[in-house]
Parts: sequence; C-alpha cells; structure tokens
Amino acid sequence: MISIGANGFQLLINYIVAIIVAIGVALLLRLPLLPEKPIRFSWTTSALFPTPIFAIGILAIFYSLKIFWIQEGLVLAIIVGLASAIFVKYGFDYIFPRPPQNEDGGAF
Amino acid sequence: MNIIIGIILAAIISWINFVAVDTFLGLPEAPGVKGAENVGYSIKNRKGDLAGGFFQGNILCSPDASAGTLIAAIGVYALGIQGGLIAALLVYIGNRLCADPGYAGTCGALTMTALIFIFSFIGILPEMFICGMVIAIFTIQGIHHPTSSRLLGKIAKSFGRYTKYE
Repeated sequence: MISIGANGFQLLINYIVAIIVAIGVALLLRLPLLPEKPIRFSWTTSALFPTPIFAIGILAIFYSLKIFWIQEGLVLAIIVGLASAIFVKYGFDYIFPRPPQNEDGGAF
Repeated sequence: MNIIIGIILAAIISWINFVAVDTFLGLPEAPGVKGAENVGYSIKNRKGDLAGGFFQGNILCSPDASAGTLIAAIGVYALGIQGGLIAALLVYIGNRLCADPGYAGTCGALTMTALIFIFSFIGILPEMFICGMVIAIFTIQGIHHPTSSRLLGKIAKSFGRYTKYE
C-alpha cells in the first residue's frame, strides 16, 4: 500500500475543501460551470476544469515540500483554492494565451 | 507480488486506462494539432485506419492520457499520492504549451493515480506501473502502426468516437 502520510484522512479532507473552495469562488467570479460545447475540444476555462486541477496540484506541491502551516494544512487548502480560482479568472489567459486558430478549430 | 506478474498486470491496467480515457475524450475524432493530422494521413496511406492514426498522432504530438498515465506513475513513485496530483497539473500545463485544448491528459493522470492507489492494495507497486506503461505504449506506437491503428479504430467505433474526416 502507498503511504499517504501520517495524517492521510486529514489530507483527503483538505483536498476536498480546496476543490470545493476553488469551484465555489470560481462560480462567484462568474466563470461558467462547464466549458462551452463541444467540451472535448473547448478552450474555455470553467469552474470544473481547470480550476480544481490547479487547486489540488499546487496544494500537493506544498504538502510534498512538507509545508502544512496551521490547522494541519486546512487553512492552506482554503487559501490555495481561493488563489487558484482568482488565477484562472484573471491570470490564466495572460500566462497561457490561446494559439491562433484556423477555421476548422485545429491549431497551427 | 512477483515482479513479472506485477508488470504484466500493470501493463494491462495502464493500456486499458489510457486507451479508454483517450478514446472517450475524442482523440480519434480529430487531430488536435497539425502534426497529428500528418501522422494520421501517413498511417492511412500505409493501409492503416484514419481514426487510429489520429489517435496515434495526438498521443505523439501532445501530452494525452498516455503521457498522463506514465507521468502519474512516476509521480506516485517519487512523491506518493501527492505526486500523481502534481503530475495532473504538469500534464495540463504541458497540454496548453503544446496548443492542445486537452482534457485527456489531466483526466488520465487523475484516473491513473486512483488506479495505482487501488491496485497498491493487491501489491502492484508504482514502479511496476512505470514499466508496464512503457510496455503498453510500445504495443501502440512501437510495433506496427497500421495494425495498431486498425485496433484503435475499432475501439473508437465502439465508443462512438470515429472520425468524420476522409
């Protein structure tokens, strides 16, 4: 079995909190819940994708570096969830701009 | 678990994971980037299947569930479950850098992290998944492109994701 740390259950709670905070704040910032259709080929950033991916990914980097801060990492989870929602809303298109598109949707 | 049996089981699990996620998320339907289109038509010219060719081109040109599966296995090996979640984030960033809208890589990394965790209870270790995934990708990309593209085309048809390109 893979070790998930001494306080594995607490970490699981923290990840779930980070996901919920990220989706909630993203919706408050008026990001759409789902990308526009067709979802499989959509460039739209939305509350369900990629906001929680950023939240749990960045939180996992903190936990891998043994940074938990207070409340066994719960406060950190809330802050990371908040920050990732704000990043996806305001900073995402600046860091990862869309490539120029041709008329059938493929990138060149 | 015996390491040879573990690697064979891990290869089968990895193969099913990445082919199912990639097919479901539409890799055989359309080339996401220009290189995938070239690969697809090249394989078709060698008597392969166009949808399977797009699938192979897409996993060659940008990180999709195949890369996600491999990087998640490496991440879990290096850092535990945390590593799988970091892998998902890195694959997503990699997708954006490759100008691919990209859902398959991230979803594949997350499903693989869950699968590695579940199968660790019966003794399949993350390093077996790394080796197994290399074998799984070799069966698709490394032996005979037209044959594997025809298999991928059949799988795409059964998922209702066959390409509309000619």
